[in-house]
Amino acid sequence: MLMKKFIISVLGEDRPGIIAAVTRVLYDQDYNIEEVSQTILQNQFSCFFIIAGPAGISPEQLIKALQDNTSTFNLFFHVHEMGRDAAISRTCGCEPFVVTTRGPDRKGLVSGITSVFAAFNVNVGQLRAVFRGGNEPGNNTMIYEVDIPLSMDQKELRQCLCEKAEELDLEISIQHKNIFEAMNRI
Amino acid sequence: MFTHGEILSVLEMLRSEHLDLRTVTLGLNLLDCASDDLKRFQSKIYDRITSAAENLVAVCDQVGEKYGIPVVNKRISVSPIAVAAAPFGADEMVAIAGTLDTAARAINVDFLGGFSALVEKGMARGDRALIDALPQALASTERVCASVNVATTRAGINMDAVLLMGRQIKAAAELTAEKDGIGCAKLCVFANIPPDIPFMAGAYLGVGESDKVINVGVSGPGVVKKAIDRMLANNPDADLGRITELIKRTAYKVTRAGELIGREVAEILGVPFGVVDLSLAPTPNVGDSVGEIFQSLGLCSIGVPGSTVALAMLNDAVKKGGAFASSNVGGLSGAFIPVSEDLNISQSVENGYLSLEKLEAMTSVCSVGLDMVAVPGEITAETLAAIIADEMAIGVINKKTTAARIIPVPGKKAGERASFGGLLGESVIMQVNNARGDNPFIRRGGQIPSPIHSLTN
Repeated sequence: MLMKKFIISVLGEDRPGIIAAVTRVLYDQDYNIEEVSQTILQNQFSCFFIIAGPAGISPEQLIKALQDNTSTFNLFFHVHEMGRDAAISRTCGCEPFVVTTRGPDRKGLVSGITSVFAAFNVNVGQLRAVFRGGNEPGNNTMIYEVDIPLSMDQKELRQCLCEKAEELDLEISIQHKNIFEAMNRI
Repeated sequence: MFTHGEILSVLEMLRSEHLDLRTVTLGLNLLDCASDDLKRFQSKIYDRITSAAENLVAVCDQVGEKYGIPVVNKRISVSPIAVAAAPFGADEMVAIAGTLDTAARAINVDFLGGFSALVEKGMARGDRALIDALPQALASTERVCASVNVATTRAGINMDAVLLMGRQIKAAAELTAEKDGIGCAKLCVFANIPPDIPFMAGAYLGVGESDKVINVGVSGPGVVKKAIDRMLANNPDADLGRITELIKRTAYKVTRAGELIGREVAEILGVPFGVVDLSLAPTPNVGDSVGEIFQSLGLCSIGVPGSTVALAMLNDAVKKGGAFASSNVGGLSGAFIPVSEDLNISQSVENGYLSLEKLEAMTSVCSVGLDMVAVPGEITAETLAAIIADEMAIGVINKKTTAARIIPVPGKKAGERASFGGLLGESVIMQVNNARGDNPFIRRGGQIPSPIHSLTN
């Protein structure tokens, strides 16, 4: 059977039952879930699914099916068809690092730090940031899990990140991921 | 993917709890440098040390930066010089100490240990020469550390060596009188010295070890204290069972960091990894103190009734957490209570809570002994030897390491201050009670035999 693969994003105000309702639709439509990532930001539900299933349905039809069957939740959907080789994950000669910042809240912090990553071809795998506002450094943290290419000059990257952090009034730490693994996991 | 809490707790340990790797110590065997020609021996040991450790500091800094955990001290330990340089006399031993000091400077390590002799059952020619050389060697060098093992559970206590060490400590203090007797801060007298201590002043490379080995000393009293403070803030009624469990878990984390970094340094240098010494080693900084842990536990100060049991509990929990975290545990592994190196402990002396006698009692349950204890300069060599002998007895009978690093401060009396600078810290000089009168016991010399429970074969 010809297969298609989609990535779906689901947004809406959080409440119990959203995942059950959405996945019921996918099941009814004969789709198999390959990967899910779900999180809650403040009171907002957000979730991404990668699904594979019948080729005879378009993204628009899938959105309609989802909307029709989850109308009580007032959710927003986006569906995008993926390429065939999408399952092959990006591999690079990289070292995993965790970059963490803390400092007073202001606009442009994420943009400032990520601009350095971009310039050094550093891929961000996970980003969690909380800005509760104000000048208390511990209330405003960014945690990036990144892959730094082995070919990149790490000293220069470190220096640029530290300079950018200083410019933004942030404390920054750049640590290989293994230290967190070693200290927190058995 | 790590949780927020996992990442932030590690950062907090680094940011405000003084988590660091206290020392990476490269052990170097010098026995094959043996020669009866002094110049040749000096040249061989200098070349061995400076070539093998050429990149030690740079690699430690690089790995420390990678993990965001500083390696505070980089050090060298060598084969016991009394063995490696056995053909030489005392003057030549002083010259050899000079060579070791020059080599330590050349590779930029802060201390080099192994100006050592093992004399628990008798003194060979080289041992005697090294002990005779100690005062001059310690006065004329800055980075060389010395240790003399005068007792073991298997051999008993060499009381001739104990008395000799009392005299040499006095002499070393006199020769460094202008710096409050700092020569003695680089000299430890041991019972049951382990062959793989990464910490100074007792580090040396045992004769049963490889050509080269990396041993690591972790730290982290501040991390343990803050963990206890946090637990008690959330649960003021937490009992000691829960607190020991917390100390174990915290020691686990600290040790894992040490092992990770130590192994990577060893791998880059192409040297086998030896042991993690999972000791709580304080520095003279607020928040990096073993003494403060006693206060967090609810004692008004280290030294008050309850201190010995608290230290026993702490020491044991640290060992258990660390032993689970590392595949190779060695060295001293426990809690250190060095008086001048721990701001809180030296304040306890100043405030009258901690006496020499209580300190001695506490050393029966911790991992080292009478460490960095400043005493009045007028103390006699015999009284010093008697204090050392008491400390050795605790080690021998309890089948554990004990050490004495006592500094008679020339020209100063109990209650005055002695300052040694840097990591060695400063302290009020402790009163030595009941040391009046002659002490013929200590002058009798001879060998106190090994205890009955050493006959285990």
